[in-house]
Parts: sequence; C-alpha cells; structure tokens
Amino acid sequence: MLTAESVGLDYRNGGSVNRAVDGVSLSIDPGSFLGVIGPSGSGKSSLMYLLSGMKRPSRGRLAFEARDYAAMQAAELMRLRRRRFGFVFQQHFLINYLSVFENVLVGAVRRDHATAARAHQLLGQVGLADELHKRPFQLSIGERQRVAVVRALVHLPAIVFADEPTASLDQATGRQVVEVLGHFRQQTGGAVVVVTHDPDMLTGADQILHMRDGRLN
Amino acid sequence: MVNPLSLRHFYLRNKRKVIPVIGILALAIVGVVVTDSLLASARQTAYATFSSYQKLILVAPRATRDQDLANPLQQSLAQLKEVQAGVDALAGDQGISAYYASLSALPLELRARVPALDQLQRDAGNSRYYAARLRGDLTPLAQLITRVQRLQAEEQAFSRLADRLAQNPRDPAALISYLQNHQTWLRSLLPDISQLGQLQAAVTNASADLQGLQRSLEAANRDAASLNARSFSLPPIPPPPPSPEAQLRQFQASLDRLGQTLSSFEAPQADIDKLVAASRQIAGTDFAQADAYSNLNVNMLAGNAQFDLYGVSGSGMQQLLGLYGDRLKAGRLPRQTASEIALSEEVARSKGVGIGGQVGNSFDELDRLPDAFTVVGILEGPARVGLIPFDYMTQHYLFERRYEGLVVAPLAGHELQVHQALEQLVAGKPFRLFDWPYIKAKIDSLIQNLDTINRFLILLVTIVLSLVVGLLNNLFFKQRMNEFGLLAAIGYARWRLIGRVAWESLGVTLAAWVVGLGLGIGILSWFNQSFIVPHGLLMNVFDWGLLLSHTLPIPLMVFIFGMGTVAWQLLRLDPISIIERRD
Repeated sequence: MLTAESVGLDYRNGGSVNRAVDGVSLSIDPGSFLGVIGPSGSGKSSLMYLLSGMKRPSRGRLAFEARDYAAMQAAELMRLRRRRFGFVFQQHFLINYLSVFENVLVGAVRRDHATAARAHQLLGQVGLADELHKRPFQLSIGERQRVAVVRALVHLPAIVFADEPTASLDQATGRQVVEVLGHFRQQTGGAVVVVTHDPDMLTGADQILHMRDGRLN
Repeated sequence: MVNPLSLRHFYLRNKRKVIPVIGILALAIVGVVVTDSLLASARQTAYATFSSYQKLILVAPRATRDQDLANPLQQSLAQLKEVQAGVDALAGDQGISAYYASLSALPLELRARVPALDQLQRDAGNSRYYAARLRGDLTPLAQLITRVQRLQAEEQAFSRLADRLAQNPRDPAALISYLQNHQTWLRSLLPDISQLGQLQAAVTNASADLQGLQRSLEAANRDAASLNARSFSLPPIPPPPPSPEAQLRQFQASLDRLGQTLSSFEAPQADIDKLVAASRQIAGTDFAQADAYSNLNVNMLAGNAQFDLYGVSGSGMQQLLGLYGDRLKAGRLPRQTASEIALSEEVARSKGVGIGGQVGNSFDELDRLPDAFTVVGILEGPARVGLIPFDYMTQHYLFERRYEGLVVAPLAGHELQVHQALEQLVAGKPFRLFDWPYIKAKIDSLIQNLDTINRFLILLVTIVLSLVVGLLNNLFFKQRMNEFGLLAAIGYARWRLIGRVAWESLGVTLAAWVVGLGLGIGILSWFNQSFIVPHGLLMNVFDWGLLLSHTLPIPLMVFIFGMGTVAWQLLRLDPISIIERRD
C-alpha cells in the first residue's frame, strides 16, 4: 500500500548537511502494525513525516497505492493526508473552544450521520461516551489524548501515523491508546505506524524497525 | 450535522474575544456616524437658513453692512476738544494775531527794502483768518455732534422706557401713548435728515478751514525761515506761533471718518427707488421690491449666523410667500406700522418663540433687528423666510443700523440674465449683489474647514483602529497557533485556513459596522428629536450615501490590515515546527 525505496531526508544547517533519514526502504501493507523505535534524534519522526507526505524526501521514492509522491502536487499530498491518513501526535492539539465531539469531527472528511455514529462509537470505545460535550480543559491528559486518537480514526484512514502517542501518558493510559489503535486495525483493516522510544508500546506489532542515526538497523 | 469549524461555532465559542473587538470598532463607527451627520446637519441647516436666496437676488448697499454712527461721533468729539484748545491758543492774543500785528508794526523803510516781509505778513494774515474761521466752525460742530449724540441716546432711552411700560400692565396706557407721541413729536421737531445734513455741512466746513489753516501756517513758517536765511541787516524775524499740527492731523482724520459715515448713511437710500424701478424693467424679472432688511442671530450647529429678514411692503410679503410656496401656518402677516415680524416655524423654534413672542436686539444682543419685534405670524413651506414691515423699518429708526436695498426675483431660467443686468445696473454704485451661488460658496467655505478636520479624524481613526485590531488579531492568532498547526498537519489546505480566518475577520468587522451604524443611527435619531428639530436645525439621519461612504472604509481597512498580517503568517506557517513543540 505504501512503499519507501531508499528514501532520505537532509537538513541543511549552514554549510553542514544533517542526514536525518538515510536510505530507508520499507513497505506498509493494509491492516499491518509497523513500529518504529529508536532513541531521541534517531530520525524516526522525520521518517514519519516522509511517509505521511508532510515532508518531501531529499532522495529516494515514496508511493501510496502505486502513486508516486514526487508526481503529486502539494495540494494532492494535502488531500491524501486529509482523506487517507490519520495522525496522532505526542500532544493532543485539541481545539479549546470546541467540545470533545466537535474536536473529533475536525478529523472527519464527511460530516454525515454515519460519521457522527462512528464518532460516538469510537468515543464509547475509549470510555468517553459521557464526555461528548465537555471541553478539552475539562478532561484529564489521558482523556484528551484518547480524543485525539478518535479524531485520527473517525474518517477510517488507510494508515494511522502515531508519533510518540503515549509519551505524555502513564503506562496504563498509554496501553489504552495502543489498544484503541489495535481495535481500529482489526475492525477496518487500516494500517498503523507507531513511532516511539518505548518498546512496550509495540506489543503485537507485525514489524518493528529500529532506527539509529537516520538508518534502519 | 454540526460543522465544528463553522463561523457560528467560532463566534459563539469565542464571545469574550470577539465582542471587545466588535465593541471597539462599533464605537469608532458610532463616532464617525455622529460627527459626519452633525457636520452634514450643519451644512443642511446653513443651506436651509439661507434657502430664500435660491429664488431671489438681494441688492444691498456695501457701506452700511458694518457702519455705526456712534463711534465716529464720539471720536470726533474727543478730538474736537483738543483741537479747540489748540486753535484757541493759536487764534488768541498771544498767537497768530499778535504775530500779524508785530509784522504790521515793522518800519515802512524796512518793508520797502525787503518785499518778502509783505508775503510773510499776507500768509500770517491768512493763518489768522483760517484760525478764526475754524474757531467759529468748532463751536457749532461740537454742539451738533452733542445734539446728534443726545438724539441717539434719547431715542434709545425712549424705546427702553416704552418697552418697560408696555411690559408692566399696571402703568397707565396714556403714559405709554404720551411717550410714543413725544417720541414722534421729537422726531418731527428735529428731523434726523436735517440734523445729519447740518452736521455734514459743518464737518465739510471744518475740514476745509482746517486745511486752509495748515496751508497758511506752513507758508508763514517758510517765509520766516527764508527771510532769516538771506542775512539782511535785519534783526531776526521770529517764527510764527507754533501750530497744533499733531492735533489738527488727528482731528482731520476723525472728521474724514465722520464725513464718510454720514455720506454712507445717506447715499444709498437715495438710489433705492430708482434701482427698484430700473430692476422691474429687466427682462426676466418676476418682481422687485425695496427691502429694508435686517437680521436675526440663529444657531446653525457649526456656529451662529445672521438670518436675513426681508423688510418689504404688504404686497411684497405676499409676493415673497408666493415665490417660495410658503404660507401662513398661524397668526397673520406683520402690519406696516408696527414692530411686528412673521417667521418660518423652524426659525421661530430656533429663537424659542411662538405667536406673541418677541425677538430683536433687546433680547439677543447679536440680533441686528433693533429693539423688540413681536412675532405675529408663523410661516411654513419649503423656504425659511422672515418678514418685517418696510414702512416701520424705514420710518421708525433714526440711528440704528439701517440697511436698505432691494430684492429682485428672477423668473425661473432667467437667473443669470437678471444677475448680469443687475450687475450693470449697480456698476459704480455702492451696492453689491447677494445671490445663491455667492451664499452657497460662503457656506461651503465655512464648512470646508470642519470637513477637512473631520476627514482627517476619520483617517486617523481608521489607521489607529487598523493597527489596534491588527495587533489584537495577531495576538489571537498566536493563541490559536496550535489549532492552525494541527489543521495544516492533518491536511487542511493553507488557502482554506486563510479563507476561514478571512471569513472570521470579515464577520467581526461587518458585525461591528452594522452594530456601529445601528447605534449611531439610534443616537442620531434621539438627538434629532430631542435637540435638532426643537432648535429648528436640519438633520437627515438616514443619509445612506454619506453613512456608507464614510463608515465602510473603517471595517474594510481594518479587515484588510488585520487579515493581511494573519494571512502572511499563515502562508509561512510550518506545521511540523508546531507539532514538534514541547510546550
């Protein structure tokens, strides 16, 4: 579904070049759970930005469903991210003036009854069925992150990219988030890519890639 | 289903941030609406106050606009006393007469040897002659000035006394009648024209003699100096006695001013009848009437102005009303023999009077209309008009400022033609024309300064508000950076985000504009009912052209500036830098 062939990403800092990602090749199949693990600064987040189309690679080839990223305009890449991908970041990035339910709908591509029903169902799965009308500041940190996960899943993306989704959570809450992602994978056939430095979060992953200095070990 | 990014959500959920911005903008728009409308009101009121000029031309004497007899009289009298003392000394025993006698006493042999002595003696004789004449002129001149001053004071005193007695019902009517008769008698006994004529002649004589005296004294001085310079074997010839030259010069200037005032008092009056007759002959003239006009002080919001009252005959009043399509709303038209006035209802409101009320200099010292005139008629119609009786104005007053000219009403379409003919008619005469183009230009030039200040203020408000709201927008944007970063990261297009912010800003500025406009119109409507209308002023609260053209630039500029800065930041927004932030 998504393939990367020898992709690399360079950051230029004055005269020097920092190879954040260097010669990474991988493939993500539908329904798979890919874990990317590595120490801080190893390039795992940069790899996620490349895979999700948030950054263009300095070299190599990326393709989603056989469509080469290099052939896509910026707007097409935007649409791809909006419609086919879901994102969970280390911080929840919920919009403060919207309710829990409305924050989930920010991720929706179509705002119809089916989407609303799915939002309700997903929020129920993460134990927030009674918190629909609360504002983010009325929730705990774990609850906010669960809302952010539901927001990433509500439009049934082909791939969910989760960048350190449990970094700001305690162990138990982090486990809950991973379970939600696992449920999603099982129920929809969508793939999950989790970038983390915590190996416990990758229990049940189909494939775990170790990164160091921008390269896969 | 609910759209969480809808404008309704944004406004409802951000009331605390949106309402202050709307409030600031709305208040500024209220300010602009109010100041603009007040300025427009001042202009409209001024146009309406002088609307009678739209259909007629006033031919008015140039000199009488600001003339006043009292000051020249007083100045001449003060100078006269000093000159009298100087001339007395010159003409007295130790003065020019004694000098003349001393020249006459010179030996004949000497006079035969030096013929210039004869010239000196002749010039000294002339000086003696003119000094004596001037001395003779000054006494009756002083008496005449004093009498004219007394006449002026007497008439004012009689008017005040008659007013007081008329106001006090316990005073016997016979006394009032006696005083009125006495005033008439006094006038018949000492006709003002006669007094003024005598004074005019005395001033002319005194001026001529004064010049003669100065000339002869200068000649005598020259003669004496010339004799002494020739170094005859003669004892030195003494100079003539000193001339009160400085006083004479001041007195001459004072007499000139008095003479000019007296001339201007009389000169225009004589030509009025001829001018009226000639004006009626001009092709395209509807009617022409002699006009003993006066003025009332009225408030025009942007300052006071003198509202023109037409002092015309009974038929003239009817013609003027017919000309404008005005009519009597209450009461009647003024009688020709009484101090009565009919006023348009707006002017009456402005002066705070109704039927039976009084206006004039006795009540408002800025009114040029003398004494007290009783309002006997209230007029209504398209033009604001004030009517006073011609006969009363021309026959009753001796010394109050009297303006006598004529009003000429051109037929529609003949205004320019009649104007040009009148210009030719008064060419070389001390008259000038007042018509609508002239009056309108005067009003516009007066309002123009206020208009300029107002435009500058609007510009200043717009710039300051743009900066303030732009700054607030930026602060608000910084607070929402996470929101925009997330939306950009999950695939919301950059231009869609800019469009969203644009709609948000546009909504705020338009809401502020509508609220400001509504509040402004509300305040103006209240002010119109409670102040403008009762004071006879004019205001078009719903002048949409003005309201839109002067208020729309504010929200537009604020929007463009505020939106511009935010759009610039959104275009440079890097979502990764935001999602990687660890704050």
